[in-house]
Amino acid sequence: MNPALLTTQEAVDPVFWFILGISALMLFGITAAMIWFVYRYRRSRCPEPESQVEGNMILEVIWIVVPTIIVLAMFYFGWAGYLALRNVPEDAMEVTATARMWSWDFEYANGKHSDRLYVPVGKPVKVKLLSTDVLHAFFVPAFRIKRDTVPGMENYVWFVAREPGSYDIFCAEYCGVGHADMTTTVEAVPVSEFEEWLSGMEAAEQTEQGRELLSRYGCLGCHSLDGSKSVGPSFKGIGGRQVTVLENGTEKTLASDEAYLEKSILEPGSQVVKGYPPVMPAYADRISVEELKAIIDYLSRIGKEQPEKAVPKKVSRVEQGQALARQLGCLGCHSVDGSRKVGPSLKGIYGSERLLEGGATVTANDDYLRRALRQPGAEVAKGYPPMMPPYPQLTEEQVEAILEWLESLR
Amino acid sequence: MNQTASTTISRGFWDAPGGRKGIGAWIFSTDHKRIGLLYFYSTLAFFCVGVLLGLALRFELFQPGADFFTAQQYNSIFTLHGVVMIFLFIIPGIPAAFGNLVMPIQIGAEDVAFPRLNLLSWWLYMIGAIMALTSLFTGGGAPDTGWTFYVPFSVRTTTNVSLATLAVFIIGFSGILTGLNFLVTIHRLRAPGMTWWRIPLFTWALYATAWVQVLATPVLGITVLLIFAERVIGSGVFDPARGGDPVMYQHLFWIYSHPAVYIMILPGMGVITDIIPVFARKPVFGYKAIAISSLAIAGAGSVVWAHHMVTSGMSDIAVMIFSLLTFLVAIPSAIKVFNWVATLYKGSIQLDPPLLFALSFIVLFSIGGLTGLVLGSAATDVHVHDTYFVVGHFHFVMFGGTGFAFFAAMHYWLPKFYGRMYNKKAAVWGWALMTFGFLVLYMSMMIVGMEGMPRRYYDYLPKFTFWNQMSTIGSWFLAIGLLIVFVNIFRGLFKGEPVGSNPWGGATLEWQTPSPPPLENFEAEPVVTHGPYEYKKAGIL
Repeated sequence: MNPALLTTQEAVDPVFWFILGISALMLFGITAAMIWFVYRYRRSRCPEPESQVEGNMILEVIWIVVPTIIVLAMFYFGWAGYLALRNVPEDAMEVTATARMWSWDFEYANGKHSDRLYVPVGKPVKVKLLSTDVLHAFFVPAFRIKRDTVPGMENYVWFVAREPGSYDIFCAEYCGVGHADMTTTVEAVPVSEFEEWLSGMEAAEQTEQGRELLSRYGCLGCHSLDGSKSVGPSFKGIGGRQVTVLENGTEKTLASDEAYLEKSILEPGSQVVKGYPPVMPAYADRISVEELKAIIDYLSRIGKEQPEKAVPKKVSRVEQGQALARQLGCLGCHSVDGSRKVGPSLKGIYGSERLLEGGATVTANDDYLRRALRQPGAEVAKGYPPMMPPYPQLTEEQVEAILEWLESLR
Repeated sequence: MNQTASTTISRGFWDAPGGRKGIGAWIFSTDHKRIGLLYFYSTLAFFCVGVLLGLALRFELFQPGADFFTAQQYNSIFTLHGVVMIFLFIIPGIPAAFGNLVMPIQIGAEDVAFPRLNLLSWWLYMIGAIMALTSLFTGGGAPDTGWTFYVPFSVRTTTNVSLATLAVFIIGFSGILTGLNFLVTIHRLRAPGMTWWRIPLFTWALYATAWVQVLATPVLGITVLLIFAERVIGSGVFDPARGGDPVMYQHLFWIYSHPAVYIMILPGMGVITDIIPVFARKPVFGYKAIAISSLAIAGAGSVVWAHHMVTSGMSDIAVMIFSLLTFLVAIPSAIKVFNWVATLYKGSIQLDPPLLFALSFIVLFSIGGLTGLVLGSAATDVHVHDTYFVVGHFHFVMFGGTGFAFFAAMHYWLPKFYGRMYNKKAAVWGWALMTFGFLVLYMSMMIVGMEGMPRRYYDYLPKFTFWNQMSTIGSWFLAIGLLIVFVNIFRGLFKGEPVGSNPWGGATLEWQTPSPPPLENFEAEPVVTHGPYEYKKAGIL
């Protein structure tokens, strides 16, 4: 990156130190003088006041003029730093961030969508900020940037990541019940990796990478992909299924969710699936965080497929549905693991009996789910707020894809 | 003073024949002292409600994840904490309670200019307060918008925001009427010899506050009515879905609500200014500078509102102008702090509880004011805006400032109106625990905010856990301190030793009349011959 280019945090931090430094000095001065006077002139030592002076014009002028100069300097540095946040370098890459209750969507120039903000290290990024519903704010503490996303208005921020890494993104403008969950990350990766990520289709690319890693680390030597039993359990359908494990000799049943998968890769000896030998080596020091993520992504994905739906065309529909759900922000309010968020969990929703507000029950078949997407306010699940926006913009094909994905979550 | 002569105290205005008995003698009384006590107990009750809600919030935030409440409940609790503390406690707290009690006596008047209007103000306040509390249990559930009611969320949410905004509207009228009443009283009812430059600085602060109340509160009324219209008839002024502008809402809201911050803090500064010279036995340093700085704060404070909106998407030029104006409003506040400290120099200082609270005020308010500089500077505001840093800063100014001034005022003036003294040692313990707990509670918030934790978060990332736990632990110390202070002061007021007319040695008029004061404040109309802090001329030295 251009070494002359200041990052946003380098533009802002000196202003912090300047203001906080002077403030600390003044606070110390005021407090020390106050305590000294109270001690020195305490009534037990000075029963009569030594002075009845009512003021001093010169002092008043000094403590009007000196603070004025100080605050004008603070104003000036603050304004200069702010300008650095507003003036986007010319070679900045543009990404459009859309906020909605309660998740983020990032769209790249080539039309690729992501729920994390992948950026190349060392390259300035201009993030255009939009909102589809209420006020939110795009806040990345590591880069000292924040700007509201206002419906009907376009705002922007820019930043540059000097080091690769994962930086938190928060929603900083209160936006309702899911406000605190509206977090994601900036993923700063080397330029070549970024280019590769950007040009690949997300789902396919990650599947490829995950699949490739499984071979590279030899996982497939013991775990099959087709459901057949080998040294270890098959990967087929592993994402989200119930497994019975032995932990320190006691039996436990738990869902093989992402957390479980991560644990089984990093320290496989801690929870061993019942009926299999505890022979898997630990990968804690052997694979990178990115690789681990790719593997888990891949495993979760193949886990969501029902065996009989493993026809290629259907698989792509399910994946398309999942990608849509992520992109539209469904997962901001609906979990896929059965846990309660703002709306009902999508796990097992397909085909189940739903109790509606008002007492009626309905079977969540294609018809109902289609209505729930098109006119969510008409039949609201009992016990949940009627907050979901309608999605009239979806094509029939997209709805079909979402329905198939929902079906796969059984 | 003649403390020996008053072993049996006259009950003053407490015994005054009003034709009514029991509670009617209070809620229909037009005596400014009774109305002041009505305000005092109602604001104090709401303060206790607000404290409990605040403690509940801190309990939930003790560790990440869901602990005691759902996210929706948490959001309602912080909304309620804000609405109760701001509209029902801080705004009316000092001006309506202690202003009513003390101000007419300080200028040598028998009552305020419009006693019945004064009673109406209290009734409006109570009606608004009851409506605000009703909104919790009716309609679509407790409001969950935060006290700022930002659109479009406040228009979309299904909770009971309409009733809450109407409540704020009505409470606003109570403030406007009190302000008007005080302005007329200070202009027209001063005793002979009470020239403008002999008015005690507490009354000066109330005078500046009253102007802000009268001029700025109507904008709040208009704004909340517009939200009401938006929700009920879909007027579309603010909602972008109907072609409105949500940023304009923020302008209208802060045109009132920033000056409101000065409505909250100016009377507190007035309390501190009256207390320090009494316990230092020395005239206040720079009387005119302090009086004029109150007016300067009221004036300049009315044109800085958009510093709440640096990241809102308003133009960069607006950011620059409001940042500059914000820094200028820091200067009159600094003048006051320097003058308070200078007043202590070469005095004869008695560390009684009112002074201890006042000294805490100076330090806590200075921290609040200095961290305000971080928020005033455009570059740094971007990072800390809407984080716990702002929450910490705001509580330093409002609680460390106005709240501690309220407690200073309680310890300073309540013995006057009850004629009895509390236990000073217990008060010192309460003060020490409160100050310590306060620092731990809100310093932790500022640190976690600097690290980037946004405000109004029901749940947080594990990396923020340590400072959140410190903050919660601090809140327990503060709560214990408050409990000690309350138990001690009320036991003292009802059972304590009688005090004479002037227990602290003050030179202002309220100390020249018996404790408690008679119905119309003075046995004979006072004639003022010296300034409020001239202890030699007042015969105190």
